[in-house]
Amino acid sequence: MQVRIKRSGVFVSAAGLSITLAAAFIVMLIMIFSLSETPKDTIYYFFAGPVTNNYYLGNMLNSAIPLILTGLGISFAFRTSMFNLGGEGQVYAGGLAATAVCLAMPAAAGFTGISTAIIAAVVTGAVIAGMSGFFKMKWNTDELISSFLISNALIYIVDNFITGVLDDPENNLLTTKKIAEQFWFKKIYPPSNLDISIFFIVILAVLAYLYLFRTHQGYEMRMCGLNSEFSRYGGINVGKYMVLPMLISGGFHGLAGAVSVLGTSHQCYKGFSGGMGWNGIAVALIARNNPIAVIPAALFFAYLEAGAKSAMINADITIEIASIVQSVVFFLITAQAIYNFVKPRRRSA
Amino acid sequence: MNSGEFSIPLIHNSVSIMTPFLLAGIGGLMTELAGMLNIALEGLILIGAFFSVIFAASTGSLFLGLLLGIMMTIFISWIFGAITLYLKANVFITGLATNLLAGGLTTVLSFHMFGTKGVLMFQDLPKLPSLKIPALHGIPVLGDILLGHNILVYFGWLIVVLAWVLIYKTPFGFRLRGTGSNPAAMTALGLKPINYQMAGILISGFTCGLAGAVLTLNLGAYVPNISSGRGWIALVVIYLGGKTPFGILGAAFIFGLAESFSNYAQGFMNIPADFILAFPYLITVVAMVVMSIIQHQKAD
Repeated sequence: MQVRIKRSGVFVSAAGLSITLAAAFIVMLIMIFSLSETPKDTIYYFFAGPVTNNYYLGNMLNSAIPLILTGLGISFAFRTSMFNLGGEGQVYAGGLAATAVCLAMPAAAGFTGISTAIIAAVVTGAVIAGMSGFFKMKWNTDELISSFLISNALIYIVDNFITGVLDDPENNLLTTKKIAEQFWFKKIYPPSNLDISIFFIVILAVLAYLYLFRTHQGYEMRMCGLNSEFSRYGGINVGKYMVLPMLISGGFHGLAGAVSVLGTSHQCYKGFSGGMGWNGIAVALIARNNPIAVIPAALFFAYLEAGAKSAMINADITIEIASIVQSVVFFLITAQAIYNFVKPRRRSA
Repeated sequence: MNSGEFSIPLIHNSVSIMTPFLLAGIGGLMTELAGMLNIALEGLILIGAFFSVIFAASTGSLFLGLLLGIMMTIFISWIFGAITLYLKANVFITGLATNLLAGGLTTVLSFHMFGTKGVLMFQDLPKLPSLKIPALHGIPVLGDILLGHNILVYFGWLIVVLAWVLIYKTPFGFRLRGTGSNPAAMTALGLKPINYQMAGILISGFTCGLAGAVLTLNLGAYVPNISSGRGWIALVVIYLGGKTPFGILGAAFIFGLAESFSNYAQGFMNIPADFILAFPYLITVVAMVVMSIIQHQKAD
């Protein structure tokens, strides 16, 4: 009986998800047909572009890495009913912290530099998001708005570091100096940018799943998300689970920034993390805040972005049509009516 | 520099700068009273800003541009409301969706119609008429501060009064507030809370459309992402204003003053532009935290 209920739940999720994705797909086709002079080519480049050669395929997989991390970060927050809308700034500041550490110790051994940079980025992200959690616990300040505002202020401040103190004087680009080569992650699929971190990230997703679903703390965290009053009554320290998930969430975002810098860009350029935070929210929603499901959801989003990029380079549309498609996913992904519609109606006995 | 010379233009400018905060705040208040935190304000302002100036430029008429721009914003807010209410989606997520849609749609259309994702200039667009009453300009200080703004600024004040009447003096207002405070009682009275929530969302579409139009029609140009956080700041303005129309007027003025000051500071202090851009967000988050501390202490 238990098994049957579970299976039907999965069926409903899958059917509801496919309706959402189908709607997004239709909206995209409508846009391409109305905006493109050569709709057939555009559609070809959109869908086939990301997988036509090893370079594009590797880069697409590589761009899924930060999305898995931000998706995991958001999953932790959402599972506990904390809204972290500051992902953009947390990734950006994490990337800056990692870059700053690497630039400060150019002669350090690879392992020392990488681990210090990663710790710095994780702590930076965790502190930024943790502030919103702390305000919420202490004074009941709405974390949704505060995390967004703090993040947006930080984006400009990080911009200032990149074009100011850390700017590379040798060129006119808005970027810091390159970090020393011993800190670069090893590439595993040349000529693409895909690097070795993808293995660690997948392991991290599994660990996140085990923590959330197989540990006492994970259980308490999920309980607080389901019903915070009931959890308080049950003796759970609810305040702790306003701060902890935000710290974890911010830490994942900071890590996403570090991994992008150490693995891909090797420097912090202005706006390098644009979209990673928002897309992380979409990824977590599609994955229903399940850390394992975050991996395919991130791949889907990476594919969407890569498709839009390929269509922009090879055809006549602009990459922002991807954000319209994403907005359709956002609009429909939580729509209960869609799931009720596909749910098999119980026969009245 | 004499302090009067400095402070009067500062305050004069803040009266005009506060208008988008004020309008978006009033719209957000309507949904707030109906029990929904409306984070779509930001995107709706952007839609209003883009479409009003595009329509004004293509029809050659400010009035038609304003009208069509507002109608477009109401339409988008209807999509947001319909999905949230009829398809029972999470209002935060659909709010984010509206913001994403606004960013994407304006860029895609700008690129498709004008071939650029950058600033769109409309040189031959007529200027918004400004209110000039020579007889009243003689009044010292107050006349300098309150007169000479474009008409939409005054329209914003009118909306504050109308909102007050609507909320406190009409059956609709009672029911709107009832929807937020006790939806079960509304249902028991045979009223549908969902209708009032929808009305709140559509009103926020109207005021945000207007707020956006103030930004672009005054400038005669569209700058990408011109809403730049105003919708979010408006959310804080609603709380800071104690969820009343006149409170929102006061709170919006404080934010207008803050922004006006940071514009001035750019001129005579050597502050990097990035910090000036970050300032509105910082002051908003500080205001928000301070406010919640005060409320928290009151509650104890």
